[in-house]
Amino acid sequence: MSSSSLPDREQYDPTFVHSRREAIVIFCSWVVALIWAVPYCYLNGYNVTDPENIKTVFGIPAWLFWGIAAPWIAANLFTTWFCFAYMKDDDLGENPDEPVEIEDSQEEADKQESDQ
Amino acid sequence: MNNSILFAAESSNAALWTFLIYMLAVFSLAAFSNKLLQGKNFLSEYFLGSRGLGVWAFALTFAATSASGGSFTGFPSKIYTHGWVLGLWIGSYIVVPICAMGLLGKRINQVARISSAITVPDILRDRFRSVSFGLIAVSLIVFFMSFNLVAQFKSGSLILKTLVLDVTVFQNASTTVSGWIGGVSFFEGVDAGYLICLLTFGVAVIIYTTYGGFHAVVWTDVMQGIVMVIGVLIMLPLALMLVAKDAPEGTGALQHATEQMVHMVPPEKGTATIQRGAEGDSSVVIRQGDWLTISAESTRLFRVTKEKEISASSASVAEVPVLEIMTPRDIQRVLNDETASIRSDLKIDVESLAMTAYMFGGEEDRNGNGKLDPGEDRNQNGELDHPQKGLYVTGPGPDPNQMNGFLPLSLAFSFFFMWAISGAGQPSSMVRLMAFKDTMTLRRSIFTVAIYYSMIYFPLVIIFCCARILLPGMENEPDRIMPAMAVFLTENVGLGWLAGLLVAAPFAAVMSTVDSFLLMISSSLVRDIYQRNIDPKVKEKTIKMLSYVFTLIVGVGAMLGAVNPPQFLQDIIVYTGSGLAAAFLGPMVFALYWPRSNASGSIGGMLAGFGAHLSMYCGGIVANGSFFQPYRLFNFDPIIVGLVTSFTATYVVTLLTEPPPADLVKKYFYKSQES
Repeated sequence: MSSSSLPDREQYDPTFVHSRREAIVIFCSWVVALIWAVPYCYLNGYNVTDPENIKTVFGIPAWLFWGIAAPWIAANLFTTWFCFAYMKDDDLGENPDEPVEIEDSQEEADKQESDQ
Repeated sequence: MNNSILFAAESSNAALWTFLIYMLAVFSLAAFSNKLLQGKNFLSEYFLGSRGLGVWAFALTFAATSASGGSFTGFPSKIYTHGWVLGLWIGSYIVVPICAMGLLGKRINQVARISSAITVPDILRDRFRSVSFGLIAVSLIVFFMSFNLVAQFKSGSLILKTLVLDVTVFQNASTTVSGWIGGVSFFEGVDAGYLICLLTFGVAVIIYTTYGGFHAVVWTDVMQGIVMVIGVLIMLPLALMLVAKDAPEGTGALQHATEQMVHMVPPEKGTATIQRGAEGDSSVVIRQGDWLTISAESTRLFRVTKEKEISASSASVAEVPVLEIMTPRDIQRVLNDETASIRSDLKIDVESLAMTAYMFGGEEDRNGNGKLDPGEDRNQNGELDHPQKGLYVTGPGPDPNQMNGFLPLSLAFSFFFMWAISGAGQPSSMVRLMAFKDTMTLRRSIFTVAIYYSMIYFPLVIIFCCARILLPGMENEPDRIMPAMAVFLTENVGLGWLAGLLVAAPFAAVMSTVDSFLLMISSSLVRDIYQRNIDPKVKEKTIKMLSYVFTLIVGVGAMLGAVNPPQFLQDIIVYTGSGLAAAFLGPMVFALYWPRSNASGSIGGMLAGFGAHLSMYCGGIVANGSFFQPYRLFNFDPIIVGLVTSFTATYVVTLLTEPPPADLVKKYFYKSQES
C-alpha cells in the first residue's frame, strides 16, 4: 500500500471516522472509570484502621458507595449523553441479504494466498 | 429439617410448573422462528437473523448472552463468601455496556455488511483476503467454545437439579435410572439425578436451537433476560424487608446488615469424629446441612458439609467434613431458629477436631504446622482470642485459599480489564454486534443494557450481603445460595409459588449462553469450513441440512462430554472466556480501525495472544501444581498478559511486513465510488 495510490484521508468513509472517534471516547471513559474506582476503593476501603466505625452511605460502606455506586449513576448519565447526543447515526451500508457471492471471494482469497 | 429443605419441599411443585411453562414458551418461540426461515437467505437468517434485530431483541440478547450462569450461581456465591468487596470486583460493569457494545459495534456491523460476513472468521478472512486467517480463527473458536459448552451444560444441569430436587416424580425417576446405569462403565460414578437433568436440559436446548436458529436464540434470550431482571427486582425488597425485622428502631435495613457484617468472622473448615449421643444398634444418617453443637461456656456450632452414616455396628464415624460458625450472633440466630436441624442425638468428639481457618481473615496458625490445632485459636472459655473485625465490609475480603485476600489491588485492576475490555473481545458478542438493524438501534440498545445491568449487578451484591445475615452457614454449599435464598425469601412472605420463577433466573441465564455458543460452533463448521473451503457452490438445501445436522452433532457431543464433566467448572469458563478475548480482541480492533493492518500482523497478534495466555496457565502447572491456578506475572491475571502481548505483536509484526493492497484498504476505509 503506497500512500500515493490511496485517496486523501478526507476521503475516508464517514462511518469509519465517526466510529473510530467514538471508540476513542469510550476507551477514555473506561480509563477514567478505572483511574477513579480502583484507587479510590483501595485508598479508602483497604487497610481500614477502625472497621467497627466504618462510614456508610444508605447502609453501603462509604468507600464502595463513592467508589462504585455513585460513579455507576454518573456512568449511566454519561452513557445517556453519549448515546443520545454524541454518537452519530451513520449509514452502515446495504444489507447483503442476497445469496453471497462465495466464488469471487474464494478466488480472491486463493490468489492472495498464492501471492504470499 | 432446616429452613431451605423444608421450604424447598413445599414449593417444589410450583418450581416444576414454572419450569414446564417456561419450556413451553421456549418451544413456541422456536417454532415461530422456524417459520421466519422460509423464503429468506437461509444462512444469513439461521445464523444472523438477517441483520434485522431491533432495540429490545438486540439489547436483551446481548445482555443475556453475556450474563451466563455465573451471574446467578458463581457471583452470588462469591458475594456470600467474601462480602461487600464484590462491589469492586464487579465495578467495571459501570462501563461494560458502552465498552462491550460501543467500542466495536458500529464498525464491525459496517464491515460485516461490506464483506457479507455471517461469522467472525468470515470478517477476518475477507477483511484480509486470507483463507489461513479464517481457518485459524475457526480453530480457536471451536477449541475454546467446545470446552466452554461442556462446562455450561454441566452448570445448567446442576441448576435444573436444584429446581426439581424435591419433586416426587424426579426422585422416583432418579431411583429407576440409577438401577439402569448401575454396572455400565461409561456412567460409573455419575449421579442418576444429574444425568436426568442433563438429558432434559440438553435435549431441550439442542432441539429449540437446531429448529429455530438465531431468531429462536434471540427471542428466548429476550424472555430469559426479562425473567432474570424480574427475579432480582423481586428479591431485593424482600431481602431488605426481612433484614429490617431485626434492625433496631431508626436503623435502616442495609445499615443494619453492614453493621452485622462488621462483626462477622469467617468460618473454619475441617473434619470431626461424630458419635452417637445414646446407645443404639441401628444405622444413623448424618445429612448435609445438619447442625451439631459442643456446649462449653459458649456454644460452638458446626454444620455437616457432606452426608455420612454411622453404621449399625459402629458407635461413631470419623473424618466427617464440617464447618464451624465463628460469629456469635450467627450462632445465636441458628440456635433460636426452630426450623434449624440441630442434631441432639449426635455429639462431636472434641479431641478429633482438625479445623483450618481462612488463609486471609482467619485465625493465625501460631504453631506453624499448617493447621489450627485444638485450642490454638481460642482462649480458655472456648472463644476466639483475637477475631479480626470488618473483614466482610472492607477490601480485600476474606479468602480461604489466598494469603493476600480475595481481591488484592493487582486483581482489582485485572478485573476492570476482564469484564469491560475482554467482554468486547468475545466472538459471541461480536456476532450479535453484526446483527443489529441500524445505528439508532445500537444507540438505544447501549442505553438499555446500561440500565439493565444497573438493575441486576449492584442489587445482587446487596441481596447476597443480606443473605449473610439471613442464612448463616451456607459456606458449606455456597453455589446453592441463590436457590436457597429464593426459597427462603418467598416462603417468609407467604409467596412460595414465586420461588419457581426466581430459581428459573439462573437457569435462563445458562440456557441463553449455551444456545448462542452452540450456534456459533455450528456456524463455524458449516459456513467457515464447509461452504468456504470444501464446497463453495453448495446448494441451499444442503446448507440447510448441514446446519441442522452440525448443530445437532455439536449439541449431542457437548452433552456426552458433560456426562463425565471436568471438575473445574468455573475455571474452564474463565479460561475460555479470557482466552478468546486474548486471541480475538487485538486483531479485530486493528482490522476495524487501522488501515495499515495486514494479515501477517493480525495472525501474529492472534497467535501471540493465544500463546501468551496459554503459557500463563501452563506456568501454573509448574508454579502452583495446577493448570487452573495460572501463573500471575506481576500478580496480574493472564488476560492482561494475553491482551498486552496480542496488541503489541499485531502492531509490531504489521509494521515489519508488507502493507495491505490498496484496493482492500479502499474497500473498507474509503467512501465508495458510487457515493
